[in-house]
Amino acid sequence: MWDIILISGTITGIIYALIAISFALIYGVSGISNLAVGAFFMLGAYFYEAFLEVLPNYIPPLFPYSTPILALILSSITNGVIGAIFYRVTLHQILGDDVNILITSICACVIIQQLVHIIGGTAMASAYNIEPIVHGQIAIGNVEIESQRLLSALITIAIFIALLFFLTKTKTGKAMRALSEDLEAAMLMGINIGRTFILVSIISAFLASLSGILYTSITGWVSSLSWLVGLSLTFSIVILGGLKSLKGAFVGGLIFAYAELILLKAGIGAEVLVKSFPFIVAIIVLIIRPKGLFGKRVEME
Amino acid sequence: MPLLEVENLTKRFGGLIAVNNVSFNVDEGEILGIIGPNGAGKTTLFNLITGYIKPDFGKVIFKGEDITGQPPNKIANKGLVRTFQIVRPFRHLPTIANVLVPLNSPRGRKRIEWVKTPERKAMDMLEDVGLSDLMLEPAENLSHGDLKRLEMARAMALEPELLLLDEPFGGLNPVETEYMIKTIQRLHLDGHTMVIVEHKLHALMKLVKRVIVMHYGEIIAEGTPEEIAKNKKVIGVYLGRAI
Amino acid sequence: MPFNNALKYIKRLYTEFMVRIYDNPPKIFGFLGFIILSTLPFMMETSVLRIFTTANILAIYALSWDLLVGRTGQISLGHALFYGAGAYGSALLYKYLQWPAWLTVPISIILCAMIAIVIGIPALRVKGPYLALLTFSFPLAFEGFTHYYSDIFGGDTGIRPIPKFYSGLGYSQVLIANYYFALILMAISAIIIYKIATSTTGITFISILDDELASKACGINVTKYKLMSFMLSGMFGGLAGAVYAHLIEGRVDPHFISTTLSIFPIIVTVIGGLGSLYGPIIGTYIYNLLDQYVFISIIPLDPSVRIVVYVAIVVFLIIKWPRGIARVIVEKLEDLQEPREIEEILKGKKEKLVKTHASA
Repeated sequence: MWDIILISGTITGIIYALIAISFALIYGVSGISNLAVGAFFMLGAYFYEAFLEVLPNYIPPLFPYSTPILALILSSITNGVIGAIFYRVTLHQILGDDVNILITSICACVIIQQLVHIIGGTAMASAYNIEPIVHGQIAIGNVEIESQRLLSALITIAIFIALLFFLTKTKTGKAMRALSEDLEAAMLMGINIGRTFILVSIISAFLASLSGILYTSITGWVSSLSWLVGLSLTFSIVILGGLKSLKGAFVGGLIFAYAELILLKAGIGAEVLVKSFPFIVAIIVLIIRPKGLFGKRVEME
Repeated sequence: MPLLEVENLTKRFGGLIAVNNVSFNVDEGEILGIIGPNGAGKTTLFNLITGYIKPDFGKVIFKGEDITGQPPNKIANKGLVRTFQIVRPFRHLPTIANVLVPLNSPRGRKRIEWVKTPERKAMDMLEDVGLSDLMLEPAENLSHGDLKRLEMARAMALEPELLLLDEPFGGLNPVETEYMIKTIQRLHLDGHTMVIVEHKLHALMKLVKRVIVMHYGEIIAEGTPEEIAKNKKVIGVYLGRAI
Repeated sequence: MPFNNALKYIKRLYTEFMVRIYDNPPKIFGFLGFIILSTLPFMMETSVLRIFTTANILAIYALSWDLLVGRTGQISLGHALFYGAGAYGSALLYKYLQWPAWLTVPISIILCAMIAIVIGIPALRVKGPYLALLTFSFPLAFEGFTHYYSDIFGGDTGIRPIPKFYSGLGYSQVLIANYYFALILMAISAIIIYKIATSTTGITFISILDDELASKACGINVTKYKLMSFMLSGMFGGLAGAVYAHLIEGRVDPHFISTTLSIFPIIVTVIGGLGSLYGPIIGTYIYNLLDQYVFISIIPLDPSVRIVVYVAIVVFLIIKWPRGIARVIVEKLEDLQEPREIEEILKGKKEKLVKTHASA
């Protein structure tokens, strides 16, 4: 049983980590707690399906799986753009007002939820089907995994490598890291804050959208309430790992997945787990070690 | 026994040492001044002593009790009270309500004489610092000088045994500075012990008998105001040359 | 001079009196409002009363949120937890013990207080985003439990029926009785919250809202007061939920813990103003009139569209006037008085300077 937990947990954990990283990144770099990542998580899946249907009319499949991959990329880019617009129009005006940022970004999620209802009707709003890119199962050692789950994890790993490269080797990436270390010092060094903030909001929305697609293609469906799932996972993992820490989000995602899997095997129903486990993890972390695994300061100045 | 004993207090932020092995004592009834260029670690020192930051190493002993790392409100309730360099009024509250807050602390509630209500006590405190006219004014409407006085009133409401003043003269015009000097002198005569961090040397030197000079987180000199004024190291530090 | 001393004494008495009510508009408005609302059933059709009845109950809910967020500065994005816990708690007590509503509701409120303390202790140690995210997930977790233990909680259908507070009344009589019940409950809640807000505890709450660090420097145990505020907030939220379930719906279901309900206090306090007594009440009335009358009878709108409208207004108001539109209106009214005041301020400053020079 432990090999199942290890292998399946790692694979699932990597995908969870992606969701959490989309929040941890923007919070770490700009201090903005952008809860709209939940909305992008959900929209990613919806746009993905939309592109899947529309694309074959314009671009014939160049190679196997080209349409889904293109749909994936286009959906995430679209959401990245929406993320930038959302940031510029709303959050940018209220920088520093943490309470209102939280409220505004939650409102964005709620609006998107209702828009799905309005535009797509009940068919779209409840259990809308998301086709996995690959079907069937694949065996790793003794363990059978859905092929889509493995694919999602592999894509996520590729994204992580790209992200790591971006953050360590490029000028903008290093600027972002400087901002997350010490906002004032970075400002003194002449980093263009406005541009960097917009950029990080694009990347955050892009990652959130991507994570939404990769997650829902495993579960097979998305609904207008999926943003709650995305946000629950995000916040729980981010609290576990430490609010600003990308490393923490990664490790937190893995630990979360392992723990979830262990509980599932122990016989606890899936539905109650999905809804309440994030909350339980968060409470436990806050009681034992509020700053999480890799978090720096909790509340002080 | 000294009122306050600071032993080997050290604090690092990342690669930077903000406070480096600082030790000093404060005796009851004295006024100690702490000076030094910006970034010398003076405010960090206050934050370490009053519990806002936990030191990496070292101890803070107040009235014989080790208070290192205790939460700020607990330390305030023991009689070690601080003011802030940048004023921190409660903006939504009127001036008098600002003073009602410390009077609502455990220490504040213990010490209200039975004949006075908290409101009366608050009004007395405001009168002591000359803010009686602005009692009902929302704190956000007060001028900078008035806010500095409000900080004093709030600190005094706790009837402190040791008062740490962080730049009480910051941003005050000459008239307000004179008033603040008189207020601090009056408090000293009443027997309050104080440690004052300040940049305005002419104001500080009128008040203190002993001065500690900090630079890059360390104490580089200690003595009377006259001795410090002649100290070559201190002069060098203020003129920007390392000696 | 004895006359000056007497004046001083009178001024001090007056100040003591004013300190207690500095932040709130004259109570006369509330009193008048109550009188007017009491006469409503005589001026309108009884079918309209329902709107105001629900408005009053929801106003209690809004006040509970405002106490926590507007006065202590702790953000709760999942207040539907208390609303639902109050409702479910009371319903469960009826289901298993068959106790009447007037007994189960108070017990349920105490239950909410305990839940608030249990959740509050870890949750209130941390600030901002942590707390918001955590409170946001409360109702979700609770919802998960209601579905998992659906034999207890009744799953999607919930628990039904649950008893009313009183029986044996004809249809329109019930509507009127409900109306007054809700109105009186709201008035009592508002008075209690008013008393809390103007007490030293309330002043301490605001000190935490304004500057936690300074509050600590004043010797205040900030965590204790945050917990207190959270507990009170949870109790009133539970009261609202329980009363709504018994009085209006006659049942409890997962709608009582929906995200819409968690968003509701945000909507009404942004419209009506945060941190005041009248703000949440007026905001709730406006919202309810829109939601239950305007958008049904005058400009019929889909529920989803309505929510988009409310939330879009909220976002717009937050961006345009982050300090709350009610405050902006008050400040504009104050600005109109300005020219006269500047003279007085200048006069006052001159006197001060003369005084200090004279004593130097």
